[in-house]
Amino acid sequence: MAGVEDEILVRRVAAGDERALGGLYDRYAGLVYGAGTRYLGDRGQAEDLVQDVFLSVWRNADRFDPSRASFSTWVYRITRNRATDLVRRRKARVRTVDGDPPPEPQEPDPSGSLSRGFDVAAALAGLSQTHREVLVLAYFKGLSQREISARTGTPLGTVKSRTTAAMRALREAMSQGPEGG
Amino acid sequence: MSEHPETRDLLGPFVMGDLDPAEKRAVEEHLENCASCRQEVESLRLAHENLVEFAAASEAPPEHLKDRAVAGMPGPAARRLVPPWAAAAAAALLLAAGLAYGTSLLGGREVAAATLEPTDRAPRAGGEVKVMGGGENAEVRLEAWGLPACEGEEYYELWLVEGEERVSAGTFSVGKSGEVEVVLNAPEFADAYPQVGITAETDTDPSPGDAKMLGGKLRGT
Repeated sequence: MAGVEDEILVRRVAAGDERALGGLYDRYAGLVYGAGTRYLGDRGQAEDLVQDVFLSVWRNADRFDPSRASFSTWVYRITRNRATDLVRRRKARVRTVDGDPPPEPQEPDPSGSLSRGFDVAAALAGLSQTHREVLVLAYFKGLSQREISARTGTPLGTVKSRTTAAMRALREAMSQGPEGG
Repeated sequence: MSEHPETRDLLGPFVMGDLDPAEKRAVEEHLENCASCRQEVESLRLAHENLVEFAAASEAPPEHLKDRAVAGMPGPAARRLVPPWAAAAAAALLLAAGLAYGTSLLGGREVAAATLEPTDRAPRAGGEVKVMGGGENAEVRLEAWGLPACEGEEYYELWLVEGEERVSAGTFSVGKSGEVEVVLNAPEFADAYPQVGITAETDTDPSPGDAKMLGGKLRGT
């Protein structure tokens, strides 16, 4: 699924292709889960959020309109809405049991960092395999350029120039990507 | 660009802070005299900040979650068909008229919402109602849980309430899970009603039944 555009995967999902849903999961589930642990505060609820979001993607894929927003923007909105719903639902349940409403929940993504994260995820998915690899190893595995060289068996100079090229490609992808409001 | 390919190739690790001291010094000296590379550094720094933020916002979900979240989805043909629990003809007709599954999540913004509180008939039930859009183009999103499953020709109905006035916002059924999530066609100015309620119904009488299951105050958002 690597390298296939999100919008193509969504069309496959709309036709009932679970593998395509798995491809989108690989790209975005980390952000959804991260949002869950941050805003819902526990891993069980974060797992519920991931399930809710991808069930929603599955059910509504045939209504996704790429002319209105990119897939990353669409799935971001689903995530934010579902996180808000889960916070409210939990709040309602707690109030039913205790009688006292808990403190107002934090609004999901007040700084916009989650929204930008979805944009970066989309841009990263569109890079070549070699470009994506160096960025993932550096930013997600925390490897230095030297460690990436050792891990991949690539000369250090090549790792450095490849990293530079990958970051450049990412910027270009983000500046050209479809914008969603 | 072609006169200094080596320095230019180092700009990514430079903004990441991952050059050895000699390389770093060489890049800094070069930048003092090269506007094009300074511009490139600014662009790469944005990429760097985007990636740092992205990595911080992400967290690897547990391995087992993918199977649960992706596999075993209902077939696409079932997405907007009336579910099997609504086989009773009268209920099915009402459902077909009142429900619209999966209405766009990108619809209008939320203009009113209510937290549904239980009655004695369903003490463990709860729910949320949201009115999206407003005016003539509103939709009502309902999520409820803990409701008794419908049997036979039973169904539930959501009402907008003001004083003695009751306006139906649509009907729905609930399966064994007791949970439901539906988007209903909103009556005009649905967001202007002060209260909402859900009743259990068994007939085709258009007026509300007596079996109130959930209720709540609708507040503007």
